[in-house]
Formats: sequence, structure tokens, C-alpha cells
Amino acid sequence: MKQAAIHDYLYHYFKSNNCDILENHHSQLKVKLTVDLDKLLMNRPFYWHYIEKINQKPETAILTFKTDPNDEGEGEFIHFGSPRLHQIFQSAQQLAPFIRLFHSVPTLEKKSIALKPWLGLNIKISYQCDVKKDRILSLGLQLINGALIDQFQSLLENLPLTPKIPDYCYTLQPLIRPLSGVRRIESYLVKMLNSETHDWANDAIRRWKHDLNLLDQFYDEEEKPETYHSEKEALKAQYEPKIHVQLINGGLFYLHDSAFSK
Amino acid sequence: MDPEIIFDHSWQDEFISRIDSDGPWANWEVYKLAFHAEEEKRIPTFEGLMAPEHLPHVSFLPHQIETAQTVIEKMHGKAILADEVGLGKTIEAGLIIKEYMIRGLAKKILILVPASLVLQWATELNSKFYIPAVPQRKSYVWEQCDVVISSIDTAKREPHRSLILKQDYDFIIIDEAHKLKNSKTKNYEFVQSLKKKFCLLLTATPIQNRLSEIFYLVSLLKPGYLGNAETFTKNYRSGKTKVKNEEKLKALVNQVMVRNRREDTGLNWPKRVIESIEIPLSDQERDLYDSLITLRNKLNIKGFSLITLQREACSSREAVYVTLNHMRKKFDNPAFNEIIDPLFDKINAIEGQSKANKALDLIKKINDKVIIFTEYRATQLYLQWFLQQHGVSSVPFRGGFKRSKKDWMRTLFQNNAQVLIATEAGGEGLNLQFCNHIINYDLPWNPMRIEQRIGRIHRLGQKNDVHIYNFATKGTIEDHILKLLYNKIHLFENVIGELDDILTRLNLRDLDKQVLTIFEESESAGEIQIKLDNISSVINSEKDLLKEEMQNEASGDS
Repeated sequence: MKQAAIHDYLYHYFKSNNCDILENHHSQLKVKLTVDLDKLLMNRPFYWHYIEKINQKPETAILTFKTDPNDEGEGEFIHFGSPRLHQIFQSAQQLAPFIRLFHSVPTLEKKSIALKPWLGLNIKISYQCDVKKDRILSLGLQLINGALIDQFQSLLENLPLTPKIPDYCYTLQPLIRPLSGVRRIESYLVKMLNSETHDWANDAIRRWKHDLNLLDQFYDEEEKPETYHSEKEALKAQYEPKIHVQLINGGLFYLHDSAFSK
Repeated sequence: MDPEIIFDHSWQDEFISRIDSDGPWANWEVYKLAFHAEEEKRIPTFEGLMAPEHLPHVSFLPHQIETAQTVIEKMHGKAILADEVGLGKTIEAGLIIKEYMIRGLAKKILILVPASLVLQWATELNSKFYIPAVPQRKSYVWEQCDVVISSIDTAKREPHRSLILKQDYDFIIIDEAHKLKNSKTKNYEFVQSLKKKFCLLLTATPIQNRLSEIFYLVSLLKPGYLGNAETFTKNYRSGKTKVKNEEKLKALVNQVMVRNRREDTGLNWPKRVIESIEIPLSDQERDLYDSLITLRNKLNIKGFSLITLQREACSSREAVYVTLNHMRKKFDNPAFNEIIDPLFDKINAIEGQSKANKALDLIKKINDKVIIFTEYRATQLYLQWFLQQHGVSSVPFRGGFKRSKKDWMRTLFQNNAQVLIATEAGGEGLNLQFCNHIINYDLPWNPMRIEQRIGRIHRLGQKNDVHIYNFATKGTIEDHILKLLYNKIHLFENVIGELDDILTRLNLRDLDKQVLTIFEESESAGEIQIKLDNISSVINSEKDLLKEEMQNEASGDS
């Protein structure tokens, strides 16, 4: 992640969480936190406990960041490895797990427009043995006809969306309930993952068996000591191939057919 | 076989309940930011390192990056890191830990290091790697903290031991792992009982040559990799100490061990400039030294005390005084005192010490930071007083200082004082590379100690040539050691680690004892000379052999 992108990210993060932006130059960003963000980021439960108990007006923290390492000015230097950035990444996920949005369709005539329900899930898939890699999928499932599309998030990001249902729009009732939608997406993922070739997993299993074999030779007695069993467990933890599927975030989206016309 | 697919379902109830109660719903901007954070954090490939991008303020050396990658990709996270001293093993370990943490493959991590290094590891991991490693101080730390640093001695004792064994550690790191060479010790047994998913054993001492040690160390890491004790002996041991099938063993060990050598790193190491300084004794000092020799005939003191006294007299009158005084109190009988007491007069007669004067001149001439190493506390105290009398600021340093005091003294030396006077090489891990002058005020008889001394400043980060001044009082035992042994084996020019290799191969790691025996048992100076000559020629021929082997290895690789 480039420094400029980090600066941008921080700006949008604080702005969209309603913090006052006190300064914003090329490297510097100075913000005054809201009460919610202060509680989330500053790790000072005793202060908040105290303030709320005596019913005082709280003074939220002011944070200054800089993204240029040569910036001589004050502030916490933020780069891709900064614990602070990762704290902010994590808090974004805590703040925004679920959403519901409506397509803000431009209407010329005063005619009512139907919006169709979609279930959108952003998903992280981790392939893990003694090494690991991730893949991110963004799937959208139409809850009437069951159509499933990939890269749903980038489609959404190019649409005008609003949290309130726009005038002259109405939503169609889903035929597939959201929870069933989630199950459909899961079974799609299982099918997709099982159709992949898993050389990485086969290699890991080969290593696992090899090391197990050595272990058995090392403890060749009948009565295996406890260390044998813990080593065996360790080998399983080290090599056993697994695929973890986790939700990043997800929601319901009511979209007009024109969203897919281009 | 298809790998198991594990879905996290924990979010589903909450999602459905928000649908049912119509919210609360996230802000669209923050929702997008949460998604993009995950995209940024995504690990795109099994191979390669993510950690360097997370640590832009650390400039890793090529061999450190390569080592981390080898350990993770080729050794699958179980390895012995055996770089030569000063190449940054801690950095390599930190890089590997960081990489596993970023990839989410290691969360609970246990780091076992010598007690004196606990805080140093903690500082390094926190400040350099942003790894929230906690030094173990209270027993609840084991459960509450993910990354804990402790000494083995603490960890193996109750209540810690049981608590540790209850934790599900992903990664175990052990510094100074060569101390685990004996499989019968409590420490070994403790480490063996730990569940090791990923594991690093750090050691600066090359171990290829001590057969059973390599076996036990590798067996901690990968039990069975070298067979069991019985098959190992059968396959690789011939006679009592000799190795057979050496090539095969080496090849096997190299699959689980990374050993970077200075010369392979392609770095420009600062030069060592060595100067031996012969110091003539004043008449009074000579008188004292000579009368110590005559004690041999007058008194039936065991040789050790006599030679110790002589060595002390080479260092300072204070050093010899302390020991004599101690002896007088111990034996306290008229006959003994009659012989000893004149020596105190001779000590008192000494005015101004030749070595100290020389040191003062040299320090003033150098006009920069200097480390003085001495073997004796009394000399250390004297020098501190003496330098202070002449307006030179100094700080003391001893192996026995607590870590915090060591750090404080190091900082004082770096920022406020010109001279650091140390009685020990300061233990492992002391970095003084901001200084590039060492005075060996007196010489230890274990040449490894000399290497450790030099290693404090001749290490990564040293930007200047390193100057080493060896003091030897003329016509004394010290003079012999320097001229007849140390200079002949080119001790001071040696690459760090090389001598250890050689002494290990020769089974001569107790060289200091051998030297002592020579001095005790020889009847004449000529005999001492011949015997020391023998030792140095054995060492030198082994050194040539080692060089040849390494050249063959290198040409065989290409």
C-alpha cells in the first residue's frame, strides 16, 4: 500500500466516521475523534468509565498522523506495517459488518420503479498448511431468481446507492430467504473449492507423512511416551491442509435491472 | 484427498437479527473501507515474504531475507539458525516470526532466551518488528499474552512449567540453543516436552563437529530426522569421536540448518588493525614480579595460585594485593606470613603503574571512545580511579550487572563517557559497535574470550576499522602467551567463529587449561616455548585444512 493511498484511506476513514478534520496537507492529517472512535481506538476504558460516572463532558483525543517519513513535523508516522493502521483496519470491519442499501435510480417520469433484492457477501478464503495464501471473493446472489455473480463489490461501488429507499421506488419481495441465500453461496463455494486442483495440499500431506514416518522410527518402542503424542499433534497443526472461509462483510442490496445493463 | 473446508458461521445469527430488526446498518463508506483493508492485507501467494513491506524502517541484508525465506519455504518453519556471530540471527528470527504472524500462521509464540537477554529481545521485537512481545514477570502472562519471552530456567520451573505446557503454542524460539546439547538435562527434557509446530533454534556455535550434540539438537527439532540414538551411532560414528559418512550427514544437516558465514555475505567488513604493545616494567614492578616467582621454591603453594599471582601482577598491583591478602587471611601462620609479608612491602613500593600510564597515553592519543577489557575486578576499580584522576570519564561494566544496569552503562558510555572498563565480554548480545577501539589490558587464557571481546565491536553496524591494542608486560608470562601463542595462531586476525570451529575439531575447547598445565609443569622457559609452539602448529595446520575443505566445498557447489 503506497503512502498516498494510506493517507487517503485515513482521511476517508475519519471523515466517514464523522470526525473533525483539523488539518489535511500532503503528509499531515490531524483529526479530532468522536466519542465512539475514541472508545474504539484509544484504549482508555478507565477514562470513559470515570467521565460517564461523574457526568462530565468528555474531551476526545486529537490524533496527528504523517505519511511522509521525511516530514519533520509532529505526528505519528504511519506506514503499511504500523500497528495503528492495522488497528484502524480492524475497527473498520467492526464498525461495518452488515449493510442495507438501495439503488438510487435516476427517474425522469414519476413512474414507480421496482428494485430487486440481492444478497452480497465479501468473503476471504484462506488456503492453509505450513504456508498460507488468501483469496477474496465478492459474491452477489439475486434473491428472486438465484442468479449468482462475482465481483459484486466493484459493481456496487460504481452505482449510486442510498440507505433510504428512494422516492418512486418499491422493493420486490425475495423468494429466497436471506439465510437460504447464505447456504446457497456456501454450497457454491464448496463446489468451486472441490473442483480446484490442490497441489499445495497434496504436497503438504506428503511432507506430513514423511515427518510422521521419521517420528515413528524415533520412538520405536511399543509404549509411546507423551512427547511422541505431542510431536504428532504438532505435525498435524503444522501440515494439515485446510481451507478457511470467513466473512469480511455483507448485506442486502436492492438494485434496479439497469445496474447490469452495461 | 480434498482439504477440509471450514466455514465460519459465527456471524450469521447477528446478520439475520439485523435484517429482522431493520438495522443497525453500516455506513457505506466505512463498509467499503473495511473491504479494501482486507484486500490490502490479502496474502497473494504461498511463497515470498510480506514482512519487509510491513517494516520499511528496517533495512534487511540480503542474507537475512534469504534465510527467512529458506526457513519458511524449504524448511517448513523448523530450523537451526547457526550464523556466525554478528550476522544478525535475532533479526532473522524476528523476520520469520513477523512473517508467520502476518500470515496468521502463528499467534501464540514462546521465546526462550538467556535471562540476561530477555529485555533486549523484548525491545528489539517491539521497536523493530512491532511484535508485542512481553517479558515474562508474572505467572498470568503465559495465559494472557500471545508472545512471551522468558528464560528457560524460569520456564522449566513450576508453576510456570505446567502453565506453559497447557498453552497451545504455534511457534517456539530458543536462543543460545547449543546449551541444549545434553539430552539428560532438565532444560533439554523441558524443551523436548513442548509442542513444536514451528520452531527455531538459534546458536552461534557451529555444531557439525560434535556428533552427539548435532544429533540431540536436530532431534529436538525433528525427532527421527537423523534416526534414533542407536541408528545414528551405527550410521555416523566410528570409534569414540570420529565421524563416518560425513558427507551424507552434512547434507542432511544442511536441510535443517542455515549457517551464513561472514565471507559469504558479500558485505564489506571493517578491517581489524592489531597492535601489540610491549610495556617494560618499572624496577619496583619487576621486583614484585620476580619475587612472586621465587615463591615457588619457598612455599608449597599449588601451581595455580602461583600462576594466578603472576598473571595478576601483570595486570595491576591491586589485583595481586587482593589475592595475597586473601591467602594471608586463609593460611595465617608465622612461617607463611614471614614469606608473604615482604611482598606487601614490595606492592607498596610501587609508584605509578607502567600499564596504566601507557593506557592513559593511548586513550588521550585515540581521543575517541575506548573499551578496556581486564580480567580482574581490582584492576577495573583501580583504572576507574586512575582515569578519573587524569580527567578521563569512564564507566564500569561487569557480566554480573543486572540487565537494566548493563543497558544504563551502555547508554552512559555511548553518550557521556569516553571509556568503558569491562571485566567480562559482557555476556552474549552486547552491542557496542559505536566504538571501534579495544584495549586488551591483560589477556585471558581462553582465546574464545578474546573473540567474544572483539565481537562486541566487530559486528554488523560497525562502520570503521576496528583497532585492537594488546598490552603485554615485557618479560612476563603474559608476554609469552601473546608472542608464543596468540600471535602465532593469528588469534586477533581470525574471523569470528573460525577459531571455535578449529578448537572443536581438535577437541581443544579447554585450551586455557592446557596452557595452564604447560606453565605449571614446565621446568624451563625453553620447555614452555616448545610446548606452546606445538599447540600453535597443531592449530595452524588444522586451520589450513579447514580452509582447504571450505574451498573444496565452495568449488563443488558451483
